[in-house]
Amino acid sequence: MNRNILSLLIAGALTASIYAVAQPKDTINDEHAHHDHSNHSIEQHKEQPTDQNQDHSHHNEHQHSSDHAISHEHDHAMDHSQHTTHSPEHSVSGADDHHHHHMDHDHIMDHEGTMIMGQNFDKLPSSCQSISEEVEITVRAGRKYSAKFPGTAFAFDQQQWKVKPCSKITWHFVNEDNIRHQFMMHGLPKYLYKLGMFHLEVTGPKTVSGTMIVPGKDETFLVHCDISHHMEKGMKAQLVVGKGGTDIPSIPGLTPYNLTDTYEAENLPKVGDKVESSKMVRQITQFTSDNLQTYGMMLIGILLGLLCIPFIKGILKLRKKTENNN
Amino acid sequence: MPTYIFIALLAPFIMLSSVTYGASKLPATVKVNPEALTSEPMCDPVIAPSWREAQEIEGVKIEASPVCSPDNPAWIAAAVKGTNNISMDTLMKTGLSPDAIIKTDDIDGDGDPDRITIRLEIMELNGKSPDFPGIVPTFDIAPGIQPGAWVFSPKMSGMSTENFESIRANPLLRLPSPVIRVEVGDIVQIVLENTHYFPHSIHLHGVDHPFAHHEHGGQDGVPQTSEIELMPGDRRVYQFQARQPGTMFYHCHVQTHTHLAMGLAGMIIIEENKPNNWLQTLNIGAGHVRHPSVAVREHYDQEYDLHYHAMDKELGQIIQRHNDPRLIARDMNQRYDITDSTEDYYTLNGLSFPYTLRESLIVVEPDQKIKLRLLNSGGELIAIHTHGHHATITHYDGVEHNPVAQIMRDVFDMAPAQRLDLKLETVNDGKHSYGEGDWLIHDHREKGITTNGMAEGGSMSSIVYKSYLGESNMPKVSHFGIDLNKYFTKEYYERRLPVWQDLDEWSSLGSPGEGSGLEDKTQTSLIYGVIGLLSGLMFYWIFSKRKSITQVMLGTISRINASKGSNQ
Ligand SMILES: [Cu+2]
Ligand SMILES: [Cu+2]
Repeated sequence: MNRNILSLLIAGALTASIYAVAQPKDTINDEHAHHDHSNHSIEQHKEQPTDQNQDHSHHNEHQHSSDHAISHEHDHAMDHSQHTTHSPEHSVSGADDHHHHHMDHDHIMDHEGTMIMGQNFDKLPSSCQSISEEVEITVRAGRKYSAKFPGTAFAFDQQQWKVKPCSKITWHFVNEDNIRHQFMMHGLPKYLYKLGMFHLEVTGPKTVSGTMIVPGKDETFLVHCDISHHMEKGMKAQLVVGKGGTDIPSIPGLTPYNLTDTYEAENLPKVGDKVESSKMVRQITQFTSDNLQTYGMMLIGILLGLLCIPFIKGILKLRKKTENNN
Repeated sequence: MPTYIFIALLAPFIMLSSVTYGASKLPATVKVNPEALTSEPMCDPVIAPSWREAQEIEGVKIEASPVCSPDNPAWIAAAVKGTNNISMDTLMKTGLSPDAIIKTDDIDGDGDPDRITIRLEIMELNGKSPDFPGIVPTFDIAPGIQPGAWVFSPKMSGMSTENFESIRANPLLRLPSPVIRVEVGDIVQIVLENTHYFPHSIHLHGVDHPFAHHEHGGQDGVPQTSEIELMPGDRRVYQFQARQPGTMFYHCHVQTHTHLAMGLAGMIIIEENKPNNWLQTLNIGAGHVRHPSVAVREHYDQEYDLHYHAMDKELGQIIQRHNDPRLIARDMNQRYDITDSTEDYYTLNGLSFPYTLRESLIVVEPDQKIKLRLLNSGGELIAIHTHGHHATITHYDGVEHNPVAQIMRDVFDMAPAQRLDLKLETVNDGKHSYGEGDWLIHDHREKGITTNGMAEGGSMSSIVYKSYLGESNMPKVSHFGIDLNKYFTKEYYERRLPVWQDLDEWSSLGSPGEGSGLEDKTQTSLIYGVIGLLSGLMFYWIFSKRKSITQVMLGTISRINASKGSNQ
């Protein structure tokens, strides 16, 4: 009786303990999940405020720029006659013989979307007394330039250009692909360059040229294409003025990535596998012939066993007889 | 009764009763403070209110669209006239490339252009960046929900984000891929400029197009039959002159099982050829057609493009896990197994509830005829239910159903890739309509009203009568005591906000607080104490009875031996 009560108690305590162990585990999992989310939300938070602030300023500026365009004396309407014979082939040939539609002095766009923004021929940055040198740089853009950087999809032909402070640079941006690419520079003085940007954009194969003047300090400027994931997938470079400033990260072949992917060994087919697999075939054939032998032996064994039955029966009968006799 | 047994019984009882006392005091309800939520305004205030009004831009009549986020009227003007026939001022308001939509040559002399060139690019949304631990450019289908996606987008100029500091996508870069509208007989060229880092193509499902074109080569978009994959940085022209009207479908046919679900799918509508039929060539973001065709205007008061889509969370995560295109290709092409996958996000015109309320409401008035064009580009059958209304199916897959045999239903089942044209009549006769209201329109597979399994979400929206529209151009539900604000927080879709906490004053179905009268840890250690005590007692019991136990053991052993012996 007592033993029964005791065992019942033990069983009860055990189930209770299992329950108790299971409970906190659940809450731990929950906390974990929440933790993950909160991490995520922190990341998002970092982006969100700047993002929203910029939102409004951008809106204002956009508004401003279009106002500016209207107030300008040029005829802003697109030239319709140009498009009567328009076809994709036409745009491929893309000779730069169309006149540009000036929207304002530093935003020029033609009917194919070829764009020059933030052009500056003569306005000196406050850090410059005079123009130190005049240079012309040709930048080529295209998928083929990504070939030398495994794991990228688009690239410029060079990833870095060096100029003296206060240089006047004329960029010849040669897009060798059949899509849009951009040569976009950021971080320039905002009193000279709207949004601190110098921007060339063209659908290839075609060239667009633009001129700008760099400031007098040692500084490094980001150059990229802002089409979704062109920069992320390789179309990124830097302009080093003088001794330069901090390097821009994740420029292919030049600066380390902030975040890198993880690469693991993959089970790719190799020529060696083929040799091994042919060996395997031989083994299989051997294995099967071996099997044939064993099966054959088994068959013989069975036959022998069958033949033996009468003898065994006879022996058993003999034994019984002797036992009975005893 | 020996004392040790008494103690053995008493001690656990004391300890267990203390535990049960703790359990009887249940934790109090913890109500989530609204201040702790990242609340978004129900209606995004960034949009200029004038966008909603009926207006005329560049001579293009644009219907009113009294929803929170209507289409940019400049987009509509550009889509109707062509980006080549509008002022630079209007063009700048669109963000489109000047060669995005080229309309020329009135070949049949009926007052509208018949040579239409549409340039599309391919853009990634919510993909991984090697520069910061986030994704870019971001596009939210619901609060905090940012699935990795690809879209065909109208050729644009300038930045992919709103500006350099922002990571939010330019408004032209969005789900779904834009609705394309052309006329029967138009010489249409869709120029695909592959700005994406993967190969793609366009397949014109249902559109009358030649299999191959003498100038442009293969035209069916299928890398196994008519054309090779269009590589990054390359361009291909798809040309056709459709002989039949109808609601059709275009999508990428490269690795279709992933590329279609990633978002490379859109509606393409061939309209009847009518005089002076200036069509809204692109309906960016689908939804309300604010400049319907001549044929639609003849028979209907309004027209809506409703593109239903579904996405697998795990598929979209591949482009958020890797930046190296080779790793993305490996995971998508060789490791992702669609036969083991499930759809998690259900969208209407690229968005899930509650964002559908911002731009995909079907705003109606009594006694109207509304044309609804539906496409299901998801991987499973859907069943769209119109609350309060029976609608008539006029066309299946772009082909008119025999008018005499047309039927009315309130659930519209649509196989993957299927299109239905519906005639919704807001006649209050108890059949066509049960009267005015804010009537839900939703996929009746119950998972269709969830976002990653979290209700309310998915592709649901509303057929709202104007009398039920509130001041913020959202459905007027507050007079029923309904508060939709909780859906405009990302915490809701992170499953962290108890859904029913605000149903009564004391949050009877809110979240229970942590632990009980006793902390979990004390409770566990107490129970372990009980177990320890009991096992100790058992050992003591064995020890005290060791003599009898050994006797029993010896007895059994000898018995076994004895039986063996008897055998011998
Ligand atoms: Cu580019
Ligand atoms: Cu594709």
